[in-house]
Amino acid sequence: MARMSVIAYKCPNCGGEMAFDSASGMLLCQSCGRKDEIESYSGSNSHSVFNGDEAHEYHCTSCGAVLITEPETVATSCSFCGSNVVLGDRLAGELSPDIVIPFAISKEEAQKAFKKWCKNGLLTPPGFMTADRIQSITGMYVPFWLYDLHSSIQVQAHGTKVRTYRSGDYMYTETQHYDVYRDIVLDYVKVPVDASEKMNDELMDKLEPFPYDRLKEFKAPYLSGYVAEKYNYDDSVLYPRAKHKIGDYIESYIKSTMQAYHVLTYQNKNIRTSALKADYALLPVWVVHYDYNKQRYTFAMNGQTGKVVGKPPLSKGKIFGWFAGIFLAGFAAMKAIQLAMGGGIW
Amino acid sequence: MVTGRQFIRLSPFARMVAIIGMLLLCLPLASVYAAEDGKPLIYDEAGLLDTEQEAKLTEMARTYGAERETDIIIYTSLNESGADVMKMTEDFYDNKAPGFDKPHGNAVILTMDMKFREVYLAGFYKGEEYLDDGRLDRIRNRITSDLSAGDYYAAFSEYIVTAHRYMGYKPGVDPDNILFKWWFQVGAAGVVALLIVWRMVANSGGKVTVHSRTYENVGSSGVIGHRDQYIRTTVTKQHIPKPSSGGGGGGGGGGRSSGGHSHSGSRGSF
Repeated sequence: MARMSVIAYKCPNCGGEMAFDSASGMLLCQSCGRKDEIESYSGSNSHSVFNGDEAHEYHCTSCGAVLITEPETVATSCSFCGSNVVLGDRLAGELSPDIVIPFAISKEEAQKAFKKWCKNGLLTPPGFMTADRIQSITGMYVPFWLYDLHSSIQVQAHGTKVRTYRSGDYMYTETQHYDVYRDIVLDYVKVPVDASEKMNDELMDKLEPFPYDRLKEFKAPYLSGYVAEKYNYDDSVLYPRAKHKIGDYIESYIKSTMQAYHVLTYQNKNIRTSALKADYALLPVWVVHYDYNKQRYTFAMNGQTGKVVGKPPLSKGKIFGWFAGIFLAGFAAMKAIQLAMGGGIW
Repeated sequence: MVTGRQFIRLSPFARMVAIIGMLLLCLPLASVYAAEDGKPLIYDEAGLLDTEQEAKLTEMARTYGAERETDIIIYTSLNESGADVMKMTEDFYDNKAPGFDKPHGNAVILTMDMKFREVYLAGFYKGEEYLDDGRLDRIRNRITSDLSAGDYYAAFSEYIVTAHRYMGYKPGVDPDNILFKWWFQVGAAGVVALLIVWRMVANSGGKVTVHSRTYENVGSSGVIGHRDQYIRTTVTKQHIPKPSSGGGGGGGGGGRSSGGHSHSGSRGSF
């Protein structure tokens, strides 16, 4: 039974190993170059029955070795023969992803883009900029929940419009008081919240936005050749984070509807948010581990847009250099203004 | 013998050293000429200063005045004839014919009338152009408290320094504009640099590029009800204080001397 749930994609022509190709978006045979559409692929994970038992063993379909996996691993490669395998039962039933955004950036492109990013670092130390210590670069499908949220908002506020004018020897300040009320409906769609325990939330938030026009209905072959994980937290556990994420958006929307007023005092603010649905999605992320100065740094790259996030080491000398440079330029600019205004140079 | 051709063959560094050396030689010469010019600038007829103070002020006035091509003059009088301080200043200019460039030339004069305890500041020619009534008022306001306290040396030094400084600004420009203060310039440049570098550090790990509209479904979002009910208007008024001239009143302004020399001016008591 467990043996059945391990899926490896073999080429119907030559029996070679097939993996997802980010350039064509198809399943590509590494040996003969055969390409198969994934959209029309018959679901091979539907036959598996999820039993929730994390203890049982998986065996590689190519060499028969025991696959070393963590409980949340969904796709990986065999540590003995390197074959790409997908663990079907961890994609079944409750754990079946609804949607996926496949990788658009290949490993080589990711490596290049990361090196370029390192070189462009304005504050990173020179040794870091050469980017020759990439420890590992892993293409990973990170589990996300995409929430559709509906909010109904009623706000009661006291607003004032202030006008000042001069008459004779007096300065008059005229304040008009208003009773302000707004009834607002706001819909936010596909608000992403990362559902993996090991991914840093702040890092994942900075990776956004993911191009939603690339969303595909989930098919297991997309995972072939990559590492994938299943969610650690379900949608109800992470719902508060989704709500929190749109909190500031709602506030700024409310404010934008009352821009006519100079001063606003909220008297009553009633915000009711409900989740219309939450889709289980796998989103593409390149995870880069990098060693510098005996320390390990982790970076993440959006597998579609190439945006890189993660705290790089910072050079104190460069920070000071920039400060000094901008300071001198600013001071020179002030002097130029003084000269232009007829104030001489000193 | 050093010929022109040999000089040209010197290395660029040696040439630079030679040029800088020549410039250094010229600088002290220039100030020596100014200092050797023997015409008096301090006419302390009321005896408010001791010899040492008078020498120091003369040296100051000469150096600062040379930079602005204007004679900076101090004239004190016991005014036993009881003349008007403005008339005294004009007559002083007509009779003594001061001026940096020529007799009856560029000058700024501070006149002290010790009988009526009045002070008058006048600018002639370049002095009139660069030190208009407004600027002279400012100078007078700066020194009046020292004059009242009897600290004449401090007041006169301040007068020389400020007159020199104000003449460095084009006519019509507010010389006390905060933009011209070095501490403001340093502070503003420092704050800007700090903010920019702080942002660079904060963004070094990637920045959030989603905003409030990224996930909003514009089609189904919006205001479905609103009310803006006017309640009342409140008005407060505040008296605008008149710009006051410091010291013991005065103001005054400029005029024209009997000798036909137009001047700016500021008068006040102390």
